[in-house]
Amino acid sequence: MLTPPAGAMGGAWFLPRAELQTLLDLLQADGRKVIGPTVVDGAIVCEEIRRVDELPRGIGDEQAPGKYRLTRRQDERVFSHVVGPTSWKRYTYPPRVPTSTARHADGAVVSFRPVTPEIPKLAFVGVRACELAALAIQDRVFLGGPYIETDFQQRRRAALVIAVQCTTSASTCFCTSMGTGPEIKAGAGHDLALTELDDGFVLEAGTPAGAELLAKLPVSAANLDHSVAAVQAVAANRTRIGQPLQTAGLRDRLLAQLEHPRWAEVANRCLSCGNCTLACPTCFCTSVERVTDLAGSEAVNERVWDSCFSPGFAKVAGGDFRSQPKHRYRQWLTHKFASWWDQFGSSGCTGCGRCITFCPVGIDVREELKAIAPAQPRPDVPKFEPIADDRQAYATARIVARHAETHDTTTLQLAGLDAAHTDGGPGQFVMVALPNHPAAAISVSRYLKPDGLLLTIRAAGPATKAIVELPVGATVGIRGPVGIGWPHEPAYGKDVVVVTGGTGLAPLRPLLDRFIAERAKFGAIRLFYGARTAADMLFTEELERWDRDGVFDITCRWLARHQAGTGGGAGRSTVSAIHHASWDGANAVAYVCGPERMMEATTIALAGRGVTRDRVYVTLERHMECGLGFCGHCQMGRFFICRDGPVFRLSDLGDVFGREGV
Amino acid sequence: MKFASCDGCQLQLLDLEDELLAVCQQFEIIEFAEAQSSRSEGPFDVLFVEGSVSAPEHLPRIVELRQQAKFLVTIGACATSGGIQALRNWGDHEAFRAAVYAQPEFVASLATSTPIADHVAVDAELRGCPIDPRQLVELLTALTTGRRPQLRDEAVCMECKRGGNTCVMVTRHTPCLGQVTQAGCGAICPRFGRGCYGCFGPREQANVKSLAEFLQTRARMSTADIGRLFAGFSANAEPFRGLVSQYGGAPPKAPAPAAEAAVGAGGGR
Repeated sequence: MLTPPAGAMGGAWFLPRAELQTLLDLLQADGRKVIGPTVVDGAIVCEEIRRVDELPRGIGDEQAPGKYRLTRRQDERVFSHVVGPTSWKRYTYPPRVPTSTARHADGAVVSFRPVTPEIPKLAFVGVRACELAALAIQDRVFLGGPYIETDFQQRRRAALVIAVQCTTSASTCFCTSMGTGPEIKAGAGHDLALTELDDGFVLEAGTPAGAELLAKLPVSAANLDHSVAAVQAVAANRTRIGQPLQTAGLRDRLLAQLEHPRWAEVANRCLSCGNCTLACPTCFCTSVERVTDLAGSEAVNERVWDSCFSPGFAKVAGGDFRSQPKHRYRQWLTHKFASWWDQFGSSGCTGCGRCITFCPVGIDVREELKAIAPAQPRPDVPKFEPIADDRQAYATARIVARHAETHDTTTLQLAGLDAAHTDGGPGQFVMVALPNHPAAAISVSRYLKPDGLLLTIRAAGPATKAIVELPVGATVGIRGPVGIGWPHEPAYGKDVVVVTGGTGLAPLRPLLDRFIAERAKFGAIRLFYGARTAADMLFTEELERWDRDGVFDITCRWLARHQAGTGGGAGRSTVSAIHHASWDGANAVAYVCGPERMMEATTIALAGRGVTRDRVYVTLERHMECGLGFCGHCQMGRFFICRDGPVFRLSDLGDVFGREGV
Repeated sequence: MKFASCDGCQLQLLDLEDELLAVCQQFEIIEFAEAQSSRSEGPFDVLFVEGSVSAPEHLPRIVELRQQAKFLVTIGACATSGGIQALRNWGDHEAFRAAVYAQPEFVASLATSTPIADHVAVDAELRGCPIDPRQLVELLTALTTGRRPQLRDEAVCMECKRGGNTCVMVTRHTPCLGQVTQAGCGAICPRFGRGCYGCFGPREQANVKSLAEFLQTRARMSTADIGRLFAGFSANAEPFRGLVSQYGGAPPKAPAPAAEAAVGAGGGR
């Protein structure tokens, strides 16, 4: 067994689950009171613990605005919860601390004496990334000068910080937005950080004190499985949290809105009870209370947690500077998210979400900030559960039929696939590979359950040419389907407009299949399909059948060459058809597939029919290698086209759609 | 001096065992019905008044006492808000009298129970049912030292959070009036897992409307249940009073007919 040398900080070490008590014992042997998570009165709070069985084993929590519940987990983990009602502020900056005594020594002579309370030697166990950030904020507030809060300073020094990586999150978490978590980064202020796995803990020292402690523990060097699992668990948690608040430029946006009507509106809901401020790990407002004997000869001054929400907090003899609750709410929010920057060089918020959970009426600061100081319209970053099956392995499929659609486009019918491959949605694509060619991203043009797919492929380069030339009986490699496809649910009960040209009909056909399968759920369906010439049209037999059977309300086919005489780009004529149409698109959802220029022109024409950008879906094309958001080829602005698309709602694309060079 | 009350607040002074001797050194107690038999009609430097104005004879009495007192302090929910007996303010006084007393004509009572401050000027008040002994000592200390009493103008939540209690409303769905109630009790009910029922009365700018709407829409409480939550010891104090009137929650306007055979004409509804 390799053991870490005392004082060496590097490396990841593994502590078996059964040895966690040894850690607590070592801390207590060092004369420390261990403060850690434990269940009291239906919540996980941070209080003194001595044994591991006082930790919340197998207990998680569920949080929402104004709501906190404990849950029973399927595992035996002890740190699989998030922050509770207690913050470490309770121990670094306690709610009530005597600061000085004052006495009438002799008649009119008075004397003052500072009180130096006994500072307990503590070990904080289970400090989260957002809470490390809170401690760092407190450091800046209390130790950043010009004056130093000595009581805090001593308490802070007397506490060893054992941090825990967050592998779970609550709906109220937004550390990702505040840049404070969920990962605990090197130098975050922890002495030791641990990541909980099912069989034990991956430990990393953050300071020499942590390394010393580590050296005394029965650890072994973490193997690769442990290290990878630890990193993966936190990374997946980041994805789950997403990006609940856009914080870029928030300070300036907020300070520009001091007269926003929302301040009065939120004050109608706010109870000014102060719960948010006392639950906050960084709020530091206090008052001094005097505890006097009846004769008034001796007084003890105590520093007591106070709140800018309490009436009278800003009162002077002449009146109250913040007499109305709306003033107080504005003071709190603008201080926390804006003027804190000017005072202390950071936001005062760590994104822990306590003020949201513990607001008795569930006021969510994220919603208030969005309403008062909206960011540039940006969509939420796509949020998804990480998929364990990473779809990086190729399956093989056999070509059972082939059909030449046009001179350069062929439909291959594949068979012999798993259900996972044929269970995709319209607009998703597969990566098709041959041994000697780069894989090509090809949209599925029809799902043939249980084991087949139709792929309609244009021979655009050597790889696709090699694929379309394969004979029946040959096999190809298939990964997927992957990506975000065409959503049909938004069109339930609405009219549908589908606009495409050339081979663009292929990725849309599974969507058309779905419309046909659920025809009654949609209103009028209008299909606009253009191509250069009649010979460039796909699925002509099927189009004729749809026409004949009246499956769709309009099936418009346009041939650019015939119209313009001299060619012109595919799509121009469908665009003009939409321009000159008389139907009302106010209740329509549109699906557009084609080159970006064509889609740009189409979306403008659709806007003319009343189809707004939030009801238009487009598909984007980029170079793809992996199809999983790892290779980086398909990045466009903040999007990975393969993972976050290829289908996007137009309004979510913002100003990157149609922009050159992105 | 006491009006309509249970004497519990007076007893809080007697319960100040550690401070009682010091209190007696600082003050000469000339009238204290629960503790001594000697009586006094004033004048008083400091007069503590317990109880609400509930009977016709209370009206001249409180005016007379006010004239005898340099500094008048009302103590307890009865004196400061009208007390639990103020629930009759929503009822039919005559019907209840007829239901309770065999010969109501021998009982003189007012149709309403009202706080002392509705009738005379009050210099300070101590809230609660009963009052908090620490607040009582603080007021006495402030009087001897000549400073403003530190009676914090804040929500019960502040004391609750400082005390490290877990919010009963957020974690357990227990309706709690702590957010709109004046602090001073040390958050004793939430400390034992109960919701605050507002015996210290509404705090300044208590936003009862928002709390009631939350309880209705998010906690799915009925309007009557919300009304009953506020219809307690401080029901008669605004804005609790307005809320009880709006949401209901006060007891029935008249006694139930089956409960008493001797119900008069007014109580038959």
